[in-house]
Amino acid sequence: MLLGAQTTPKPPNQYVGSVVCKTCHPDVWLNFYKNPHYKSIASGKETPERTGCEGCHGAGGEHVDSRGGKTTIPHAFSLMSPTQILDDCLTCHLKDVSKANIRRSAHTDADVVCSTCHSIHKAQTPKFLLASTQKTLCYQCHLTVRAQFDMPSKHRVNEGVVNCTDCHNPHGTMAATWRTGIRPRMVSQAPNNEEPCLNCHEDKRGPFVFEHAAIRVDGCESCHSPHGSMNSKLLRRPVVYTVCLECHNGAGTFGVANAGVLTQSAAHNMLDPRFQNCTLCHVRIHGSNADQFFLR
Amino acid sequence: MRIGPSSFLIACLCVTCLQGQETVAPTANEPVGPARGEDTGDYNVVQSWEFGYRYAMVGGDEGKYRSDVNYGNGTRLLSSYLTVHSKDGHGHWFDEISLTTQGLGNDPYESATLRVQKNRLYRYDMQWRTTDYFNPGLVTAEGLHLEDLTQRSQDHDLTLFPQSKIRIHAGYSRNTEDGPALSTVNLFENEFGNIFTLFSNVKREYNSYRTGADFDFFGVKLNVLRRWEFYKEDTPYSLGGPSTGLNPTDGTTLTSFNRSAPIHGSTPAWLVNLMTERRRIAVNGRFTYSGGKNNFILDESAVGTGLAGTENRLIITYGDAQRTVTTGDFNVSLFAKDRITITNNTSGDNSRINGNSWYEQFDLASLSGTLVNFQFLGIRLITNATDVHVRASKKLSLFAGYRYASREIRSIQSVTEPLTPFANVLNSQYDHVRAGVAGLNWIVTSALRLHVETEIGRNDNPFYPISEKNYQSIDARLQYKFKSLFATAGYRETYNNNSITLTAYSSHSRNYFSNVSWTPRAWFSFDAGYSKLHLDTAGGLAFFAGAPFATLQTGESIYISNIHAANLGARIALRNRADLYLGYNITLDTGDGRSSLLPTGTISALLYNVQTFPLSFQTPLVRLTIPITSKLKWNAGYQYYNYHEEFGLYSVLQNYHAHTGYTSLLWVF
Repeated sequence: MLLGAQTTPKPPNQYVGSVVCKTCHPDVWLNFYKNPHYKSIASGKETPERTGCEGCHGAGGEHVDSRGGKTTIPHAFSLMSPTQILDDCLTCHLKDVSKANIRRSAHTDADVVCSTCHSIHKAQTPKFLLASTQKTLCYQCHLTVRAQFDMPSKHRVNEGVVNCTDCHNPHGTMAATWRTGIRPRMVSQAPNNEEPCLNCHEDKRGPFVFEHAAIRVDGCESCHSPHGSMNSKLLRRPVVYTVCLECHNGAGTFGVANAGVLTQSAAHNMLDPRFQNCTLCHVRIHGSNADQFFLR
Repeated sequence: MRIGPSSFLIACLCVTCLQGQETVAPTANEPVGPARGEDTGDYNVVQSWEFGYRYAMVGGDEGKYRSDVNYGNGTRLLSSYLTVHSKDGHGHWFDEISLTTQGLGNDPYESATLRVQKNRLYRYDMQWRTTDYFNPGLVTAEGLHLEDLTQRSQDHDLTLFPQSKIRIHAGYSRNTEDGPALSTVNLFENEFGNIFTLFSNVKREYNSYRTGADFDFFGVKLNVLRRWEFYKEDTPYSLGGPSTGLNPTDGTTLTSFNRSAPIHGSTPAWLVNLMTERRRIAVNGRFTYSGGKNNFILDESAVGTGLAGTENRLIITYGDAQRTVTTGDFNVSLFAKDRITITNNTSGDNSRINGNSWYEQFDLASLSGTLVNFQFLGIRLITNATDVHVRASKKLSLFAGYRYASREIRSIQSVTEPLTPFANVLNSQYDHVRAGVAGLNWIVTSALRLHVETEIGRNDNPFYPISEKNYQSIDARLQYKFKSLFATAGYRETYNNNSITLTAYSSHSRNYFSNVSWTPRAWFSFDAGYSKLHLDTAGGLAFFAGAPFATLQTGESIYISNIHAANLGARIALRNRADLYLGYNITLDTGDGRSSLLPTGTISALLYNVQTFPLSFQTPLVRLTIPITSKLKWNAGYQYYNYHEEFGLYSVLQNYHAHTGYTSLLWVF
């Protein structure tokens, strides 16, 4: 008898269709037609394992036979490991370039996966099914960034006109093409693989005959704090001349000529207030077509 | 002052506001009224419209207020929300319309997003934004270039057959920036000359067109995108009238000035991406190429008096600048076992920026000469990153990685003058970076999670004194989640030391942060956070200063920032009759504790006075929402801004305070 029980094959878990799920989960079903995943049902052409509830949760036969229970759901997301969740979602969602680097993203390393930010059944935003507003989600972990956006000089994220994803790709990015390419790791790139700042600040983009090499080589963060700053214009220092002089000190083998970054002219008496404001004369500090010292 | 006291009193009675510093349309995402909307034919429609009046009363430095906050007075469509969904997924023209707007009607930050789609056939996404940018010529950062600009951007993307194996994309983006501005120019004797203020009417325009397709065959995805970008800047500059300049001790004057400097550029580009993912391996490769080009002319005429007497100068500069960027990425992920993922990414980027500029400067009485400038900047960067992620158990995962980067910078500068031979100066240098990262994610208990990540890197030849050379960082975060209580605490430290024999640069930041969110009852929620951001840097300086003549000075640039940032928010629902939100944000930089500056005019003061910049920025807020009917709510909000500098860097304080708020009706149906 024992032998018989061991050899009796367990019946395969059957796909039952989303309509069956509605019986016990009317709250989910009621508004599911507003969910982007409803496309799989409306299509009528998808295979059972890619349709409706069972498209994500797996065959529901055993769950129905057992009259519920999380453990009888093949893909119960609350019981799955972060890697399993990622695998499941990418089955369908790995088709556009924006997610091409998700396997090596810092979020994946930190076990921040799809369900950390997205809520399929209780989304607050219809477009990307986010569990909350974008900034609220990001602020949950990035508290120092929240503090930066509360500073007097900042990009308008709290005001709602700029989003974190305007500059960052939470799904992972290609290697940066500025600085040393190693850091930062979650900053998305402008169309020509440049820093995302240039998506909006096109006038700083060039190409210029005379590039301010620091921008191209080490990036905008050489002078600016992109999230927010206590200093005007998102500068890293409260006055311009310390921003400039910290590099332009002629020391070492720095700079494109290996002889130190050019010091200021001896005719610039820093005790004269007009020389303390470098950009008063060097107006095209981000790059110029007419003057190698960015005067016009 | 923007409104009268009586209006302010009325507004105060109608208190309100919301989380953080956001005052715009704070109630749009709240479950108000029947969230399921109304059925119309085969569609379900949900709408939310919030109309109201916003006010602002500003005291102190209004220019700084406009730079930081910028809300004004007037009626607004504070927010709106519309969704239309077909109930069976088979609508005639569309299956979904989703429209959201914010701040329409002259708020400084306005936006709208729209999605229209029909299953299997098309998907259209639009995003439109406009921002009022105001730079009043701030004293801090010494930005004397005043700008009062409007920045507008729009993005349109259409995808055909979004659910099929062949998808076709087309898109268009447009950014514009226009408005009046003040700029400056140094004329006649370079650093010995005078500086004059110029008026300009900023006109910048960027247009981008793109088209492409995605192909999905046998599990291999191919994405191809072709893009054309066009940039145009036609900002004219002029002098309002005869000027004696900004330097009262200099006798140089300007009686007339005109400058026209149009720039027209284009950047055609390609992007090709190939990826596939199988059970044990995922591969992703990308190639991009873009060739940017800017054509420009600068025509400048100036008449005035210089040290040598009457000046009548004409400058013409023309030429073009080009930049080609080629990038390739190859990414392989191996799922060696179910618990182990190994990824390797190799990337290469090659940027070549070259241009030529014919610079002609005439004294109209005698031709002074022609100068030909040419500059080339080439950057070649190759990086490789290898990462291993191991899920040791259900509760513990570990990761580690090694990164290597090799970069070459080449620069050619050449200058030709009539009396000097053509001279090329070629410089080339390399740097190599080696860095390691490691970390863990540990589910300590079902409610408690720990994340720790460290990184250490070494650059053998950084290009700038402030670049990362010997750097290390640690980031640790503890999260506790139990029922409705969510708490986070963490620490992050980054240290960079780029010291050499003659100078030293070090940067050390230490951040501590914590946050608690708690919703013990349906009628009460609470959120509080605190962050301490400490930064101290030291860098070597060499500059010229002194009286009566400037001599070479060396010194140290020290900067100490000690920021305490706190936020507090509480929501209380009063028996379905009212919803009250109270909030408070403060960002306080205590600096290094000093209370005053040295008198200006000495070299010591030049460095000492800018080493720290203590100030506070705080915004208490309150919001009240009262339901009138099941579909109609009345809202009112008030937010106070207070910006206070402890001492002005140039003895000028930019302090301001502002009473802002709104009252609105929210209609949801």
